[in-house]
Amino acid sequence: MVRRMNELNTFLFNILLFSLFFNVGISLYGIFARPSLIKKIIALTIFSDTANVLAIIVGYRGWPSPEQPPIPPVITSTEPTSEDLIRFINRAVDPLPQALVLTAIVIGLAVTLFLIFLTLQVYRLYGTTDVRRVARLRG
Amino acid sequence: MRIKKLLVLGSLILLVLTFSLAFARGALGYYPLPLPRVRMLASWYLYTTLNPQYTNFTAMSPVAVAAIVWDYRGLDTLFETAVFFLAVVGALTLMRGVTLKSVLNNANNKDNNYGLSLISKTAARLLTPLIIAVSASIALHGHLTHGGGFQGGSAAAVAPLLVLVIFSVYFLLSRGISEKPMFMLWTAGLLGIYLTTLAAVFIGLLTGLNAYVFQNQPKFDAPVGLPAQISGTLISGSLFFLNIFEYLAVAGEFTLVFILLSMPEEVVKSFISGETYE
Repeated sequence: MVRRMNELNTFLFNILLFSLFFNVGISLYGIFARPSLIKKIIALTIFSDTANVLAIIVGYRGWPSPEQPPIPPVITSTEPTSEDLIRFINRAVDPLPQALVLTAIVIGLAVTLFLIFLTLQVYRLYGTTDVRRVARLRG
Repeated sequence: MRIKKLLVLGSLILLVLTFSLAFARGALGYYPLPLPRVRMLASWYLYTTLNPQYTNFTAMSPVAVAAIVWDYRGLDTLFETAVFFLAVVGALTLMRGVTLKSVLNNANNKDNNYGLSLISKTAARLLTPLIIAVSASIALHGHLTHGGGFQGGSAAAVAPLLVLVIFSVYFLLSRGISEKPMFMLWTAGLLGIYLTTLAAVFIGLLTGLNAYVFQNQPKFDAPVGLPAQISGTLISGSLFFLNIFEYLAVAGEFTLVFILLSMPEEVVKSFISGETYE
């Protein structure tokens, strides 16, 4: 029973990884092949979100048993005993990728804002966001 | 042209399949997925995040993520705030000199001429204080539950965004929420973060003991630290203050950016083309 559960878990994880990389493929297509700057920015945000989910997956852990799913890395009491902490370590997921993803999300947001302002300026000055037409402009 | 498209498609499919296979076969360092346990480093973080017995290692915060963000790897977050600052300054530089002062003084631009219907305006009036309250709660509980300064600040910036969409930018600016107060809020937040990172050093200077920049709890060779509790309430030392100041900074920054993004296009164009000066 436990072995079947683990096999199912692995299968689902592999599907998850495949769909994440499928997302990466779509967003890379958007970044490289679409001419509109706005679509490039949208594809870039999809790409960064996919990378963030991948980082979260790195910090995830398998279920110790079907009755004991992993828990978020938050201690629920303000005065934990040693037994509480041991139980917490045995069940909580890795907090480090979550913290790094938090950083990545905020920086991604700031960069996206800057790109949007740049695109807006390009549109105001040239009247288009098509990179092929912007590249053909003189002066 | 057709061959080029096929080439792009083929290489993307190859990339997706290669990466999926590599990760499914153990590129994350473990086969088969998922990992049965967390790494040693993660165990250490989880064990010391709120552990009163290890006084020299603990961050005194029940949330391991908040402890990593502002204590264990606090310098990362400090420089992340700097990156955020620079990106928004870059965006502001593109919009330099653009104001709505001349348009605001025009009698035709009164609040009631703009915005959505009365229903949406009433709903927005009810929702805006609630959004601010929830965002403040996210930020103030950042050291106890999920959330923190960034998340709270982003949530708080939704309130002015809602007002911008439903009432118009003229309404927001006429109520005093314009560029300058938001810039001051942002600067006050950054200044607060700066002072909090130096708080332990100031205490060390006053008491004559060793202390470090960005120190939260007492360490072996630096016995000073910020109090983990105030009259029985856990505040996790510097985490509480850093979350509050980050909240102010992020809320100010986002509101500023939203105001600038919602400037009427003809006004901005007249500034860019050099027809208008303020």
